[in-house]
Amino acid sequence: MTQPLKREQGHWGAWAAWRAQHRAAASNSWQKLAVQPVVTSVTWLVIAISLALPSTLLLTLDNLSAVAGGVDRSPQLSVLLTGDSELPVAEQLQRTLKSWPEIDDVVLLDRELALSQFIQQTELATVVGSLARNPLPHTLIVMPGPALSAAAMTELGQRVQTLSGVDRVIVDTRWVARLETALQAGWRWVLGLGAVMLMGAVLLLGNTLRLAIEARKDEILVVHLIGGSPAFARRPFLYLGLWYGVGGGMVAALLLMVMTWWMTGPVNTLFLLYESPQTMRVPGAFYPMSLTVLGGSLGLLSARLAAGRYVRQLVSLASS
Amino acid sequence: MIEFDRVSRRFGQQDALRNLNLQIDDGEMALLTGHSGAGKSTLLRLLLLLDRPTGGQILVDGQSTKQIQGNAVGHYRRRFGVVFQEHRLLFDRNVRDNIALPLEIAGFSPHDANRRVRAALDKVGLLAKERADPNGLSGGEQQRVAIARAVVARPEFLIADEPTGNLDPALSAEIMTLFEAFNQVGVTVLVATHDLSLIARSRHRLMTLAAGQLMQTEVA
Repeated sequence: MTQPLKREQGHWGAWAAWRAQHRAAASNSWQKLAVQPVVTSVTWLVIAISLALPSTLLLTLDNLSAVAGGVDRSPQLSVLLTGDSELPVAEQLQRTLKSWPEIDDVVLLDRELALSQFIQQTELATVVGSLARNPLPHTLIVMPGPALSAAAMTELGQRVQTLSGVDRVIVDTRWVARLETALQAGWRWVLGLGAVMLMGAVLLLGNTLRLAIEARKDEILVVHLIGGSPAFARRPFLYLGLWYGVGGGMVAALLLMVMTWWMTGPVNTLFLLYESPQTMRVPGAFYPMSLTVLGGSLGLLSARLAAGRYVRQLVSLASS
Repeated sequence: MIEFDRVSRRFGQQDALRNLNLQIDDGEMALLTGHSGAGKSTLLRLLLLLDRPTGGQILVDGQSTKQIQGNAVGHYRRRFGVVFQEHRLLFDRNVRDNIALPLEIAGFSPHDANRRVRAALDKVGLLAKERADPNGLSGGEQQRVAIARAVVARPEFLIADEPTGNLDPALSAEIMTLFEAFNQVGVTVLVATHDLSLIARSRHRLMTLAAGQLMQTEVA
């Protein structure tokens, strides 16, 4: 009866004992979740929303980026001539611009041709026929050399603007740049929002775990009194955090799948309307796996923070 | 052997223990008594390293507890089985799982743990209640579960702090008989109590504390 403990347990082994302790802690923590289905479901759902919302936004941005990436972004200038400029003037300007070393090619869009195309596409022949004269100007599409920077493009545009007969110069790639800038801002916004929501999830988990620790205060104290290490006392709560996080991550993956399925139809229709061959990118295995791993990591982190702090407080109270 | 060597514990201006010298031999059973505030609980807390002396030292098998720090504290405490007045059972675990807790902490195999839990339950006469919910047990049964938990890992020392405080005299006698049974197989037992009926029927050394000092030692 009085034989020292270490002699009694020698045949079992430290590694096997450690694994058995982890197995027991994991299984007990899972059972604690199972007996509180409402609390568990609500916690999972809140974590899932915190993870799924930024993920859905990221997926949307990912799709928009693909659209922006698919756009022909070779820079070009649209040079609109004044309404009274005749075709010879336009042809002369075309020759002048072609002779500039920084310009590769210049295409002339005849305003008569442009009007007939407009009538064909819009079926507005009656309306257009009622006009006294063709309202469209001759237009030159200027394609500069490939090495031209954005600043040089702007400078070229300003120089072209000064030529006689030129009414307006439009840098055609500007909308792409605007879209890209908007997307960059969007990424930052989503990442910021994601960080805030993840922080919220960590705080929520921390609070849930703090309540769980409060509810099992006696157990921690007894474990402390009978020789359990702080790590042993913390372990069930780390597993509790892990199960909350993994469960939340899996529900988030499910939500993301449902959202994607729900959005695929309208988004693909939108792509078709913009004559894009693209279809909505559906998240592969990476997203659900990442969400589950992220959820689990968040759960562990929250549990480590909450359990580390509260278990230490309880133990020091017991020892004071 | 447990030895208190001029141990003091001061809280502010008040001495809970003052230059206390005390020795409990291996395999001995001793009772510690005294009025509330005499220093019994402080002494037990110091022995379990739940608190540290402000003066003197405690030696367990010749080793000063001052040297026991960090993770070694847990290992040290596992040498003790502890029984509290208020049982401190975990009511979300059944009887078996309550008793198995020290074995889980010490890293016993499930097979060994089951064997030891059943042996401990047999000793305290509760084998039939292995899967019972502690909430459904009487006060005496709960205390016997707490004793089984204290002895299941076969500690060298059994420490009990007012173990019969909530029990009637018959049950108190039963609990003391159990302690004596463990003592007879070699466990060193120290019981802090102010239960006069227990003290009266005891055949063991009685140490009386008053105002943080050992006033009297009586050997039965």
